Amino acid sequence: MLELKNLYFTVEQSEGGGTRNIIDGMNFTFEDGKFYAITGPNGSGKTTLAKLIMGINPATQGEIIFNGTNISGLSIAQRAKAGIAYSFQHPARFKGITFRDLLAIATGVEDEHKLLEIVRRVGICPLSFLDKEVDAKLSGGEIKKIELAITIALNPELAIYDEPDTGIDLWTIGPMVNLLKKEMTRRDMTTIVVSHNRSFLEAADVILIIDGGKIVYNGDLEGAVPLLEDLSVCTYRNTCEGDHDAECFR
Amino acid sequence: MLNALDKSLLKTVADLEGIPKGAYNIRKDGKLLARQVSANIDIETNEEGTGIVVTIKPGTKNESVHIPVILSQAGLYDVVYNSFIIGDDADVVIVAGCGIHCGTSEPEGHAGIHEFKVGKRAKVTYVEKHYASGEGTGKRTLNPTTKVFLDEGAQADMELTQIGGVDDTTRVNEAQLEAGSLLLITERVMTDGEQSAVSTNNIVLKGAGSRANMISRSVMKGNSRQVLYATIEARNKSFGHIECDAIIMDNGTNETMPALKAFHPDAELTHEASIGKIANDQLTKLMSLGLDYDQAVNRIIQGFLK
Repeated sequence: MLELKNLYFTVEQSEGGGTRNIIDGMNFTFEDGKFYAITGPNGSGKTTLAKLIMGINPATQGEIIFNGTNISGLSIAQRAKAGIAYSFQHPARFKGITFRDLLAIATGVEDEHKLLEIVRRVGICPLSFLDKEVDAKLSGGEIKKIELAITIALNPELAIYDEPDTGIDLWTIGPMVNLLKKEMTRRDMTTIVVSHNRSFLEAADVILIIDGGKIVYNGDLEGAVPLLEDLSVCTYRNTCEGDHDAECFR
Repeated sequence: MLNALDKSLLKTVADLEGIPKGAYNIRKDGKLLARQVSANIDIETNEEGTGIVVTIKPGTKNESVHIPVILSQAGLYDVVYNSFIIGDDADVVIVAGCGIHCGTSEPEGHAGIHEFKVGKRAKVTYVEKHYASGEGTGKRTLNPTTKVFLDEGAQADMELTQIGGVDDTTRVNEAQLEAGSLLLITERVMTDGEQSAVSTNNIVLKGAGSRANMISRSVMKGNSRQVLYATIEARNKSFGHIECDAIIMDNGTNETMPALKAFHPDAELTHEASIGKIANDQLTKLMSLGLDYDQAVNRIIQGFLK
């Protein structure tokens, strides 16, 4: 279980001085084994929230409680060891580090058979990916598949995916959603996906809409649709037609 | 014949656990320690007595030559001139390397001038590692020079590595490529403390259809300094690429000067160069897999210099 208690992330304003709350006093409890989709307009604080949970950004105020322990002061690595995994929207690229190396770091497994077993289980990357360098030569889709596979291979208790569909072709999104659902069920994993993509919103048990650093909706998709329209989350395709198309730049 | 220190140096610079199989020439403290020739690979001391001539018969396949140099004698500066004549259509691996153990305050050093004549359609893989160790405070200097002449259709794959402990190094790599030949150079240099390394590379694409790719990876720790000059000059329809990346740690400094010179209208030359600290997103990614900061830094550098 992950609890956010009165959570703030505050930055200095570059213009006009003063401060601004990117995350503005958030309270929420993520229950074990559920699939959460976080959505909301650009700049609403979705990725910031995900990064606060992983410890990539330090919370300005408030507490993050994971399985009864206050993890607010823990480092990224300590949170990883506690069972939280994070899949980046724009994964880092390395020179001289292969998919195999990253999988070995993530799992502590170096045995060829076991690594192949993991890649097979994840199913999203061909076995030939194993010795690919995770460098600038990979396409956006390839690196996202590798990122996803590494996150799943970690067998986390809580998996956070920031915009997992970025760079992924339309035909892969369906299988990707199924994979996340399957892994979630298999491991009783809590899954948090930051996304505007309809497939992820439909797959979620709970939709959270964030606007201005606050959770403005928490419930099912049906109830979320009118609010999504109001907020012009225009990448939610059903709600974005006609004159508003010009805003759909994604 | 080999003491424990010799074995350790040989292991580091030539991946050798002892005396290798196949042809070899081991030089210790400026003198020949051991030599073995094979049916297809001949090794002789040159006329001046300043080095060796390795002659590989045309068509020789899947054979290797090890020519490590080890130094553990205080105050010695050893200079060798080695020539490699690789016959047409041969395909061989040459492993060179210099290990210095400095146990005193006397300086020690080695300059190796290696000249390669690679015959038509022949392929050579050249692996060279430089390393210095020891508790002594004497300055350890390594100044390697490689000169490569690739005949038509020949290929050379050169891996040049300086893995640590060398106080001062001036590296020179020169190459001249005839028609249809291919040169791949990967140079990896790590410096620390007050060390300094200067690498000068000049590649001339002389023949039509010749290709060269130079990759340089530098890591500067402590207050160390590295300077890289990399020049590709195209005199024919040819292709050349330079990729140089430098990672600065601590207070290290780096100067990188890639240069492209096209003297033919159909030359295609490109380069990419970067200098900077380890990217934050790389560190964050590895930390999110459970590594602490120092482990993440080490893993990134290890991959970068792999």
